[in-house]
Formats: sequence, C-alpha cells, structure tokens
Amino acid sequence: MSDHRQDVQQMREAFAVALAEADGSDQLEALRVRFLGKKGELTSALKSLGRLPAEERPEAGAAWNALRGEIERALESAKSRFRLLEAEAEEHRQSVDVTQPGCGRPYGAFHPVVQVMHDVVDIFVGLGFSVASGPEIEDDFHNFEALNIPPHHPARDMQDTFYLERKGLLLRTHTSPVQVRSMLRHGAPLRVVCPGKVYRRDSDPTHSPMFHQLEGLLVDEDVSVADIKGCLEVFVNEIFGRPLKARYRSSFFPFTEPSMEMDVECVACSGRDSSCRICKGTGWLEIMGLGMVHPNVLRSGRIDPERYNGFAWGMGLDRIAMLKYGLNDLRVLFQGDAAFLSSGGVL
Amino acid sequence: MLLSLRWLRELIDLPLDGSTLADRLTFTGTEVEGIGRPCEKLKGIVIARVTSLETHPSRSDLLLAHLDRGGRKALCVTAARNLSENDLVCYAPPGATLADGTVLGEREFAGVVSQGMVLSAEELGLPSVETEVGILVLPEGHEPGVDAVTSLGLDDEIFELSITPNRGDLLSVLGVAREVQALVPGSQIREFEVDLPRDEAVWPVGFKGITIADAGCPLYGLGFIDDITVAPSPLDARIRLALLGQRPISNIVDATNLTMLFLGQPLHAFDFDRLPEPEITVRGARQGEMIRTLDGKDRLLEEGDLLITSGGRPVGMAGVMGGENSEVHEGTVRVLMEAAWFDPVRVSRTSRRLGIASEAAYRFARVVDPARCLVSLNYVHSLLAGWGAGRPEARIQVSRQREWDLHEVTLTRKKLERYLLWDDLTEAETILYRLGFQAQSRQEDRLSFIVPSYRPDVRIEEDLIEEVARIRGYDDEIIPSRLPGRPKDRGDIGATFRLWRKLREAAMARGYMESVQYSFISPESIEAIGLGEDSEERLLLANPLSREQSVLRPLLLPGFIEALQANLRKGWRQALRLFECGDSYGGGDGLELFREKRRFGAIVFVGKERQVLYGTRRREDFFSVKADVDALFRACRVRPDYRPGKLPFGHAGQTAMIHVDGEAVGFLARLKPILEKELDLGGALYAFEFDLDVLLERDLPSFATEVPFPAVLRDVSFLAPRNVAVADVEAFIRSHGGAMLDKVELFDVYEGDSLPVGFRSLAFSLSYRHADRTLVDAEVEADHQVLREALESAGYRLR
Ligand SMILES: [Zn+2]
Repeated sequence: MSDHRQDVQQMREAFAVALAEADGSDQLEALRVRFLGKKGELTSALKSLGRLPAEERPEAGAAWNALRGEIERALESAKSRFRLLEAEAEEHRQSVDVTQPGCGRPYGAFHPVVQVMHDVVDIFVGLGFSVASGPEIEDDFHNFEALNIPPHHPARDMQDTFYLERKGLLLRTHTSPVQVRSMLRHGAPLRVVCPGKVYRRDSDPTHSPMFHQLEGLLVDEDVSVADIKGCLEVFVNEIFGRPLKARYRSSFFPFTEPSMEMDVECVACSGRDSSCRICKGTGWLEIMGLGMVHPNVLRSGRIDPERYNGFAWGMGLDRIAMLKYGLNDLRVLFQGDAAFLSSGGVL
Repeated sequence: MLLSLRWLRELIDLPLDGSTLADRLTFTGTEVEGIGRPCEKLKGIVIARVTSLETHPSRSDLLLAHLDRGGRKALCVTAARNLSENDLVCYAPPGATLADGTVLGEREFAGVVSQGMVLSAEELGLPSVETEVGILVLPEGHEPGVDAVTSLGLDDEIFELSITPNRGDLLSVLGVAREVQALVPGSQIREFEVDLPRDEAVWPVGFKGITIADAGCPLYGLGFIDDITVAPSPLDARIRLALLGQRPISNIVDATNLTMLFLGQPLHAFDFDRLPEPEITVRGARQGEMIRTLDGKDRLLEEGDLLITSGGRPVGMAGVMGGENSEVHEGTVRVLMEAAWFDPVRVSRTSRRLGIASEAAYRFARVVDPARCLVSLNYVHSLLAGWGAGRPEARIQVSRQREWDLHEVTLTRKKLERYLLWDDLTEAETILYRLGFQAQSRQEDRLSFIVPSYRPDVRIEEDLIEEVARIRGYDDEIIPSRLPGRPKDRGDIGATFRLWRKLREAAMARGYMESVQYSFISPESIEAIGLGEDSEERLLLANPLSREQSVLRPLLLPGFIEALQANLRKGWRQALRLFECGDSYGGGDGLELFREKRRFGAIVFVGKERQVLYGTRRREDFFSVKADVDALFRACRVRPDYRPGKLPFGHAGQTAMIHVDGEAVGFLARLKPILEKELDLGGALYAFEFDLDVLLERDLPSFATEVPFPAVLRDVSFLAPRNVAVADVEAFIRSHGGAMLDKVELFDVYEGDSLPVGFRSLAFSLSYRHADRTLVDAEVEADHQVLREALESAGYRLR
C-alpha cells in the first residue's frame, strides 16, 4: 500500500534534483526523455501498474498521473524560463554603448530675439491685441509726419535715419508707422501690436544699426494712463516670469502726450547690488517708452480724438532678450554665429 | 546740456542736495544722465600770497617763493617765470592732492626743501583757464589760508541733462531754475540785476540801422559796445566756462557764451569796423550765394537760408554761424551785439544741410523765448561793463516785425478725469501756476491758461494734462494700474505670424539653427554669387554706415554665406544649418523696385570634417535638403513641385525652382562648386529660399474619412532616358495607370556602367486600390498590363 507512494515521492524528488541541475533547454529534453519518454522512468512505473492488486490500481494510477502532470508543467515552465534567458543572452551579445552619441540631426536652436518676439506677442494676444505688420521700407509721411514729427523738427535728431537712394524712401526708424497704417485700415476701437525690424544709423556695443521693436496701440473710448500701466505691468511680469516693481518717468515722444518711460526693477540684482553691471547699480532698468496717443496721430489715422483716445508704447525686443537671457553684446545677435546660437540650446 | 549746480544755486534758493534734485528732474522728464565733479580729486589746496621771491642759491633757473598761507609761512621752489611778489596763488602743501591724483610731499632742489608747490591751471585740472605759461595767478579777493577749491568755486557739481526736443526753454540756467521752482516746493528764483553805465557811450556815427527783409526774423536787436579791449575774461568767468566743458576765448566771446548759457539767448558779436557798410540787413539767401563762416569754411547757400548781410554782403548765417569777414579779433574796438529770434525751421534746415551743429543753431531750432532778447543784450552789456572790457551803449536798437500772440489753452475737468482718473482742477491750477501758466477764465468745469512765452511746446489740452501729470508723478498712489476693459474681439496672432511660427518650429525640429542677419549687405557679397549684373535693381542706402552694409539684401543667401565664412574663420568645421524668416528687398520685376517680401531662407553646409560619426551616408546631399523643404511645406499644408532651374549661383545640375500652384516661389540649389571654391568654403553648400505669401491661409488638410480597402501592390522597373525627369515619368505612369492606381512611389534609382549610355534604371512601387471594395489580383492585372505596354511604347525599356 505505502509502496507506490514512496516510489512516487522518490521519483518526484529525483526529478526535482535533476531539474535543479539543468542549465539549458537541451537538458530539459533529456529530462523529458528520462522521465516521460517511451522507456522513461515514469512511463515504466505506469506500465507496471498492472502488477498491483486491482483495488490499489486506481489510487496508484492517480498518484503517478499527478506526478506526470507536475513534471510536464515543471518542464514547460523551465523551458520558457530558459527561452527567456537565452533570448536575453542574445540581447547582451547585441548590446550597445548607451553613452555613445545619438545619430541623425539634433534639435536646432532658437534665436533669442525671435523667441522673445513670439513670447511677447503671445502675452499681448492674451490681452486682446492682434498682430499687425507694415513695411520696413517706409516713406516720410508714415514714419514721421503722420506721427506728429514735421520736417526739420528737432525730434528728428532723436533718430538717425537711413535713407534709400530712391527719393522719398527710408528704412523705418521705429515700428510706430504701423500705428497709423492700422488706424487707417481698422478704425476704432483698436488693439494692435506690431513687432519687427527697425533701423537707425548708429553702431556701437549698445546700438546696432538694425534692431527689433514691438509697438503697441490701443484706441477706445475713455482710456486712461491707468490702463497702460496695467497692461504693461502684466506684460513685464509675464515675460520675466515674476512680479517686478515698475516706475514711470515723464518723457517726450512727438506721437504721445503725456509721454513716459517705464523702468522695472533690475532683473539681475533687484536693486541689491550697487556694482551690478546690468543696472549700473541703480536697481532699475529702462524698458520702454509709452504714452497717451497724441490727438494729431489719431487724426492722421482718421479717428476722432474727441470721441476716442488711446495709448501706445514701444519696446526694444533685443534689449528684453538680452535682459532675459543675460546677454551682453548686442552685435553678436546678428552675426549668425553658430557657436553662439547653439550655446543657448533649447530655450 | 551741462548745468552748473553752483550757478543754479546763485539764481534760486534750493532746499535740497544735488542728487535729490537730479532725481526730481529725472522723474519729471529732464533726465540727469550723470553728475560730474570735475575737480573732485583736488584736496588740501589753499590760497597763498607770495610774500617774497629770491633766486635759488645754487640753481639760477629756480626761484624760491616765500608764501603766506594765512598766518603760516611756507617755502616753495618753482621754475615758473611769471610770479611776482604779492601775487595770490593756489598752494598745495605736502599731503595735498592734485587734479590728476598726485599726492604731494616735500622735495629737495639742490639743497633747498620745497614744501609742496604753487600750482598751474593744469595742476588744478582746468588747463583751458590758463592765460599765460606758468603759475595760475589769482585776482585779488581771495583770502590766504582759505581752501582754494571752495574759494574758486571748483567744488561744483555739473549735471549732464538730457533735454527733450520739446523743451528748448530748459537750455539755460534760468530755464532750469524756472522748472526747478515748479518742482521743488519752497524754492524761489532770485531777481538778478543788470547794471549798465548810463553815460558816455553813443551809437556809432553813421550807423544806418536794421532792415528786416524776411519773415523768418520777426525780431532783431542790436547792442553797441565801444572802446573795447579784447583780453581774457576774468578768472571766475573762465573757470565757469571750463567747468562746463567750454574753452574760454576772450572777454567778448566768453560774455556772449555765458549769457547764452545763463539766459538761453544765443548772441553774436560783429566787429563794427569790419562790416562792409554801417548797416545790418536780414534777408533770405539767394541760390548759389557764398559765405565763409568763422570756422574758415566756404558755405554754399540756398534759397531759404536766412542771412545777416551788410552792404549787400553776407556777414553771418542767421542763428547758425557768423561770417569770418566780420569776426571779432584781437584788435576789435567796436562791437555790434546781436540778439534775435530766427525761425526754428529755417535755422534747423540750414544747420542740418550744412552739418553745422552750433550751440546757437541747436537753441534756435528748439525755439528761444522772444521775451528774452532784450534782457540778454542788457545782461551781456553789464557783464562786459563789469569786466571793464568796453563801454556798452545803454540804448538797444530793436526791429520788430510782429508781436507774439498770447496762447490760451483750456483744461477741462472731463479730460483731466479721462486721462488721469483725477479731477481736482484747483490743484491742477496750483501746479500750472508754479510752471508759469496764468489762469485766465474760470468756469466750474474748465480753466483757461495763458501759456508763458518760453513754453511754445504747450499748445493743446493734452499738453496741460502732461504738465500736471508729470509734476504729480505716476506712482500707484497717484494713479492706479488697471487692465483696459471691453476688448472688441479676441487677439489674433494673424496669418503671417502663425505661418512663421510653424516654419520655425519645423525647421528647428529638423536641426536648423535660427538666425537673424542684417538686412543690408555689401555689394561684394552679391557679386560674389554672380548677381552683379542686374545691379540697377538693387536698393542702395543713400547714407550707409559702411560699404559692408550698403545694399538691401535681394536674397537672404549672401548674408548666410557671409555668416558661414565668419563661422569658418572662427574654426567651425561641422555641418551647419541656418535659417531665417525675414524680408528681402527689391530684386523684383523692375516695376516694383522697392518690393519687400517676407521670405524663408536657409543654408545647409555639409561641413569640413572628413570624418562623420557613424559613416558617410549621414552626410547631407541635395535630396536630404529637399526632404527638409518638403517637410517645411508640409507643415504649411502645401505640396511643392520642383523643376530644374538655372540661377547665377546655382549648380548647373543641382538647381531646382520650387513651384506652388504653378508659380515659382523659390529655389533649392547647391552652390556652384566653382563658387564654393572661390569662397573657400571647403565643402558643399546647399541653399533654399521661398516666399511666404503663397503659403498663407491654406485649406485644412482633408483626412480620409473611412479606412481604405486593402491595396494590391505591383512593382515596375525599366530603363529610362537619363534626361527624362522622374516627375515626368511619374506623371506618365499616373496618366496611364487607370482609375484604380492610387500611389506611385519611386523606390530605386540606379545609374551605372552596366546600363546603356544615356539611360538609368528606375523602379516604382504602384498601389492599386478601389474605393468601395477589396481588389483581387486579376482586376489589377489588366490595368497594370496596359500601363506596361504604354511605358514600352513610350520608349521605356521594361526590365
Ligand atoms: Zn542690477
């Protein structure tokens, strides 16, 4: 009675030992033959069941068949384990040095000024302004006269102009001509920003003969100085990514009245470093000119200055880019210098 | 403009220090760009009197000066020859510091110890006040022993003011004092006196008077000074000028300059005896008339220039510069002193055209105060009389063409509230009153003001609002910040910007670096790529900064090449991909010469490196760049066509024109290898450019609305003549492939020795598809066979 149980148990242990020693799928096949083959140990044991008394046969048969099932499952699972191991061994043979550089083209690079231009535009679009554009080759009317700068007005000394050999044409000295073009095209109320290249006859480390401005204009009924302050403070906080203190100084532009300049807290030192090179120790940075649109300019745009008024501002995008990205030479921006451009990486 | 704070304080009681005043000026619109202290380093210098002089016992070239420095004695050795006993001098004892920072000690000269030194003007830091070589001898009136810096007024603070073009009234000490009086509560301008001798002087016999023959000079005044001795002006005047960066010249010239600096009225002195005739006429110049100005240059005049003439001959360019013929010189005895009001536009036009940036022209162009004309003549007379330089005539001859209208401007409560969210008319009136604006008529909601003659910039109500606002300031407590309400519409970034954004992002994703090039380039850079011939279409700057930046770029390519060369010079060796989205100018069809087009341009330089990581197939070639162009267009939902093209700089066999909707919009080319060599690039350069306009506002892409039925694939390969374009072959296949032909894709091109000369092998993969059902092979077979026969009969040799 206990005989076959012992035999079954012995064979189970013998299989376990043999399986534990197996280290490859070919050895699993040998094990299968040894136990489950035609002449295998378990097959033989099953064959010898007939020799048992009839009443013991069912139980013994069940026990041997159960062991057969166990062995088959064990072999199957060992087989898949070895398959995985072997596949992995193959993967190791295909291993690469992950520290080698990738191939194909890396991502390119943003230009800081263009990036800032797009960022600034997004902020003002969020405030309800639309993008307007105008030509860089302008005429005297749009660049000066329509902006309340008559010929021979001393205000023309503020901007040294490039003229084209073709009479009457010049390179715009500011993006302000787009104010008038936009008013003529769209009328009031109006909210536009115009980013673009502008040109002045000036070249030194802080002046480039070509640079970028963004001009903004809002015309509506009952616009106050409070409105432009609010708009520009939102802008400054957005573009520099944190709230900055702002202050306003009275100034003069022929096309605005009153006119102001906006200073913001130094982005580099917040006024805490008296030797700061960015703000020259003043703690403040001049950031843009602004003001309420001069009635003559509204008239140039065929808008009734008694019904409507508005505000306008102009900022140097290059300067904002330089402040934002900590650049110190304006001229390197326009040389297509690969080392400079790629140094910024992804902004 | 430079302003002496000391001089300002002589005119106005100021209860604040220099830097507080500077802040206040800066915030109200007159930026103080800097505060200079020219004699800052001088320390320990005292006034001393030379009590006796003797020759050095062993060195005859040296003098021993015994000094009294206020009860204490000192001995100095000096080589100067201009000292006399009893002279007052500046004495630097041991331990004192000179203008250049030198600290003095005792020094021995051949057995005599010099205790410090007596100083020259240069050692005081003011070389221009010197009138003779040697020690600066002071006039009487300085107390020995007293600090020389204070006594001579060298402890001045010099404000560098940036005066905006609308505020010509601030171009004088008096003007700034008026402004300061409005800015600083409790400050008060002092009356200044003008003393004139009352007798003796008479108008020169025979003077025929002033004739004004041009409306550009409504007011012309002349003073007369007789018995002049031209000499240096007194030391304090010279010091004042020197501290303000002006060179003292002579009493006559210095007096006119000081008067202008003080009152803002430019003056001009004519040597009466050198005038061609005893008369002055103001008239317009005749075309082609000439004058030699006192800087010795001959000036060609035009109609519209205002002239001062005498006996019909020009003796001065009104308000710009005097003539050499009537200039005051050492022997001048009689002077006619001019103070006038000249038309700002006329003066400005003349001075700009001739490039004469004189102090006078600068002020006249910014409008001088007509009310200051007489005062200025009196002031300059009193200065000269006080200096004993001559005998000024008390009478002044004035010729007046018109009176100035008083301007009246109204301020309303409504507009004040609209602009500043504040409507206190009473306070506004107080502010304006301090600025010199007198209220004329008062109603509940409006006030009218008379504009003072020195503020011609104030003409409309908004100007008054600015005056009030700038004095009150723009701080949050004064006027809050708020966002403007009621936008009419959402903000729209616009089609051009949207497109630009897509292109730049697509280009950067494909490894291109964004650049911004100058819009103006050198003519050489255009010629370098063979674009020299059609130069009449170039847009040239009339006043370029340099030849390198004198032509507006007709293409983006020349700028890119310059940038590439600069990169190579700096040692760049790798591949380089640059792009820019910017304008090109001109180069058009001749009708629109100044046509300005928004363009996208790029270059791909294959690099100078021989070794390329992971093998040479990573190198760029025409087709890798073409794939970039395709991708950029695809980002804009446009499918371009390419046609073989010809460009002056394009490789004869690798140049394509890019077409959209049948229109050529740009190019893709390799640079001519001969140019690559001439430009010393050391590698192939590909470039492409196209106009943005054609890409604007394209339709939305149409996606397949249903999953398509499976396709049946067939390949076809054949020999095709080398000169037949793949695009044409593909078009042929499409037109002969039947209704079910869906996609045609080239998958192999082979050219080689094994093929007949003039042929290449092309292999296309074709997919046939039916819109409504799955095709079976047999259905396709017939169509495919028709196609094969068509190819064969067209001369393609099937393989
Ligand atoms: Zn700082």
